[in-house]
Amino acid sequence: MYKCVYNSKGMSYKKIKKNRQSVGYYLKIYFISVFVSLAIFTVGSFFKPQFSCANSATCISDLSINVDNNAVGIFQGRKVIPPKVDLAQAISESSVLGVRVSNSEKHIYIDLSTQTLYAYEGKTQIMKTLISSGKWGRTPVGNFNIWLKLPVTRMAGGQGADAYNLPNVQWVMYFYRDFGTHTAYWHNNFGHEMSHGCINMRLIDSRELYAWADGPSSESRGTPVSVCDQFKEPGTCIQKNPII
Amino acid sequence: MITLRHQIELESIFLISIVAALSLFFVVQRNNQGVSVPIVSVDSPLPMESPEQNIFSQISPDGTKEVIMKIIRNEDDTQTHSFFTTDTSGANEKYIFTRTLEKEANMTIPYNTWSSNNQYFFIQENAKEGTNIFAFKASGEAFSDTEQYFDVTGLFKKKDTGNNFSEATGWASESLIIINTTKEDGTKGPSYWFEIPSKAIIQLSTEF
Repeated sequence: MYKCVYNSKGMSYKKIKKNRQSVGYYLKIYFISVFVSLAIFTVGSFFKPQFSCANSATCISDLSINVDNNAVGIFQGRKVIPPKVDLAQAISESSVLGVRVSNSEKHIYIDLSTQTLYAYEGKTQIMKTLISSGKWGRTPVGNFNIWLKLPVTRMAGGQGADAYNLPNVQWVMYFYRDFGTHTAYWHNNFGHEMSHGCINMRLIDSRELYAWADGPSSESRGTPVSVCDQFKEPGTCIQKNPII
Repeated sequence: MITLRHQIELESIFLISIVAALSLFFVVQRNNQGVSVPIVSVDSPLPMESPEQNIFSQISPDGTKEVIMKIIRNEDDTQTHSFFTTDTSGANEKYIFTRTLEKEANMTIPYNTWSSNNQYFFIQENAKEGTNIFAFKASGEAFSDTEQYFDVTGLFKKKDTGNNFSEATGWASESLIIINTTKEDGTKGPSYWFEIPSKAIIQLSTEF
């Protein structure tokens, strides 16, 4: 790399040459560094936390209406007796509850810090209730729309001691993949994290919310759902690293 | 010359490593940065509360049952708390329990009072000495000839887990009350299940 060059007096330019090479070399290193940092920054931006499924066993295969009044559920290694569901009656009850108070835009907000769900029509608060968000799987933070409503379905997932299989889960509203709001009949620990990523609600609350909220139609998207790390005050939804 | 070349290469690697580390740091920071997303501005009305209420109730998650607490203020300044369960229609009222407390103490019905199958419920006594939790059958029946209810906190203390009872948050299932604890040094301790009707106390690996 270092050549010896002599002038007419036979003196070496070695030192000057070495300095010139160093500057060029460092310039090259500088550009490589810039390239590396840009590459890391660009690629790194794509590596945000990934959310695949809330219910690993049913998230793709079972997003459909499913009633099984003879099945026994499993949660936390314990047998759970699911409620009997009369689908026709349930749907007619929920349609009676689905009354609007205004024509303002509907919006559901979930505050993960206080484990509280709020429903609004414009500025009018329709509902405020305690929920249970993800404990064994994170609830995705972001701004979504309800993309599927199911009056009843089955949810299953987990592994080993954490495996669960819950038939007759009612009033399900998916807002991101298979993450959604729904009834949790297997526990009563609302106000505390208790789910695999979904928003667990009491039956009385989830039924009312289901009746009130809209699924997608040919003209519009479903009711917006904002999952906030903190719903600090009206008008502000603090979201750290929202996925959407 | 070889040494100089190696030195320059080492410097280069060092420089690139620093730049890469800095880039990683910034990208991680950016990924975790909190952003405030403006949403529809809404008023947040405060919940309506009546200060003079002497009847309190808590509905079951499925909306079919209620625990009702009636408080009567006595002439000697003590308060008598009486508990009932009933269907939300008002039918099938069952008398459960009565306790009279000094005015400094009171009783409450926790939000998650009902077991998930509506077979049991628990209530909370808030006294100067601390919190007490009592669990009952919703039917009004006693657990045994000698036990009308389970003194959950008393049984927990008797178990001598080395941790202090902190709170009962709700039900993990049809028969498991979730208990949170504090350690002797005041930090958060492990959570437990209190199982009904076996009265087993099970330490959990998960904290609630």
